[in-house]
Amino acid sequence: MQDLIELLISATAGGCIYALFALSYLVVLRPTGVINFAVGDWGTVAAFGGFLALSEAALPWPIGMAFVIIAAFGLGWLTERIAVRPLVERGAPVLAPILALLGMLVIFREAVSVAFGPDPRPIPQPFGYGRIEFGLLAASYQSIFIIGITASVFVGAWYFFERTLAGRSFEAVALDRRAAALMGINLRRVTSFAFGAGASIAALAALLLTPNTSAHYLMGIPLAIQGFTALVIGGVGRTEGALVGGIILALAEQLTMRYVPIAPGLVQGVPLLLLIIFLLVRPTGLLAARGASA
Amino acid sequence: MLNRALTAATLVASLALACAAPLATAQSQTPIRIGIITDRVGPAKPYAEPVTLGAVFAAREINAKGGVLGRPIELQIEDDQGRPDISATMARKLVDAGAVMIVSLSLSTATQQAQTVSLETKTPHFTPSNSGDTLTTQIANPWFWQSGPLGSAQVATLLSYARARNLKRVALITETSALGQMTARSFREALQRNQIEIVAEEVVPGGATTAEPQMQKIRAANPEALFMAGVVTPENVLMLRAYRQLGLKMPILASYNMSVPVYSSVAKGLLDGIAFVDAFDPARPEAKRFSEAFRKDSGTEPYNLHGYGYDGIYLVADAIRRAGSTDKDKIREAMQATRGFVGVMGAQGSTYGFADGRRTGFDTNGMVVRVYEQDQQGRVVHTGSR
Repeated sequence: MQDLIELLISATAGGCIYALFALSYLVVLRPTGVINFAVGDWGTVAAFGGFLALSEAALPWPIGMAFVIIAAFGLGWLTERIAVRPLVERGAPVLAPILALLGMLVIFREAVSVAFGPDPRPIPQPFGYGRIEFGLLAASYQSIFIIGITASVFVGAWYFFERTLAGRSFEAVALDRRAAALMGINLRRVTSFAFGAGASIAALAALLLTPNTSAHYLMGIPLAIQGFTALVIGGVGRTEGALVGGIILALAEQLTMRYVPIAPGLVQGVPLLLLIIFLLVRPTGLLAARGASA
Repeated sequence: MLNRALTAATLVASLALACAAPLATAQSQTPIRIGIITDRVGPAKPYAEPVTLGAVFAAREINAKGGVLGRPIELQIEDDQGRPDISATMARKLVDAGAVMIVSLSLSTATQQAQTVSLETKTPHFTPSNSGDTLTTQIANPWFWQSGPLGSAQVATLLSYARARNLKRVALITETSALGQMTARSFREALQRNQIEIVAEEVVPGGATTAEPQMQKIRAANPEALFMAGVVTPENVLMLRAYRQLGLKMPILASYNMSVPVYSSVAKGLLDGIAFVDAFDPARPEAKRFSEAFRKDSGTEPYNLHGYGYDGIYLVADAIRRAGSTDKDKIREAMQATRGFVGVMGAQGSTYGFADGRRTGFDTNGMVVRVYEQDQQGRVVHTGSR
């Protein structure tokens, strides 16, 4: 039983990472309609920022984390200015910015590879390698830290989108860009903020993950795929869908690995199978947008 | 940074070629072109880059001593991005450019594909770093050789080291890269040949965020030892973290990948007691001389991967010298006739050679086992596979 509880906590922590990447997609997707596959490599750049701030400069975790997240906001803003806005203003089809962002993905990855070389770089654990054991409950400090921070981020995101005027303006732009513009909402500002916030969320996810895995220049694409899968499972209509999708995906992965007697190589196919099933059975995801029918 | 270093090293190598000692005739000044296929942006980059730096250093050293057959050697370096299709294209490009030998430093799968070109064009082709057992068995290519330590030699050395433990039940873990799978297959076959039961066999997928489910299964199977066949550093770090996190105690016997020094920083606090197989004995006189020369030349400390590239170019230069010409047929014969070649890699006293028609040149008793002590690679504790 302790094994199961330990695994559930570990899987929830892994699901939180996927959920944060799904949220990064969502924050950009809702007001712009653009699927940004560069989220994983925003995370890569941030992970190496974390290496500089937390390992090289040895800044305290809260300060180093804040520094990287703020810098990532600038990176997201810059990404929008370089790769998206010029295309939107020239009336390019919706596929054009998606392809441009794929190009940015390669640029980010190679820039990191040239600047830092191919070897992984360490990020210190904020609370060391210790673990809590209390009765049947057993979990690493890092898992609990990841779950706590992610819960705070999702509460904040929910509050922003549901309870603030600025968040409502995102919703309005998502529903009808033209009408939102006519109502006085500054589309450029909303779009820039969406990219900045998306990059900050991806940066946070990377900072939470890399103390376990190390920062590596090829880490972005798997995270982008897992985040996208989580988004499809949870649905793009509601913020909490990203969280639900991420946790379901991680639970499916880890419980299958642990308890289902299939060849280890086949376990990797489980998330993709899940993705196909959700696309076929429930294309809007588990949580449909309010007022929408599945 | 390493890319810049590599570019700089290549430029310096070119300058060294240009400034090579005056040679007697215009003919003798024509460089001997050796084609290198490396991976500068793909998954093999962390390994291909130091191997390539070692190769460039060797070429510079050879040219400083007068070259081969009185001519300087010139390395034409091409990037295959770790992709088999591009690797074959690059091999063809090198053949067209007049390379007398192709040296592959990329992924094993890419090297395999490039063999289709060396076989077709009858161009000598060699890899000093790939360790996949199947490179010389899947294609009957008399133009191809490898001198990297095979996966089968790695596990044989580890089993020899662990013989005193009289292992009966072990676990095996790897990751999903092609080489990781190939190494695991070599490990599995050797364990089965030795009647050692594999009670748990696990795979950590690329890009995973944890290896706890796999390590829980291993813990539940209660093996006497854990064999780690993974060759990708981030996934190996996940395995080690989960091993420590879950309080596992059985000894770890790891592949040669654990001999890369980056583990001392990315897996700090997780390494003590891990036994790993290596092809580099820092106490070997040739290795000491190489390390000093490389350090003096580049200002950086070399490690085993640099040594593979270094030995590779010296092996090729030796074959060309013995061939007495750049005729590809003669180079092929000379390469196959290589015996007792002393390089910087391998245990003390081990040599390279392709005796009895073999095309794998690393001494099967040339690997060593070392143990991590205080997060640093410790001394050699065992040598050979007997």
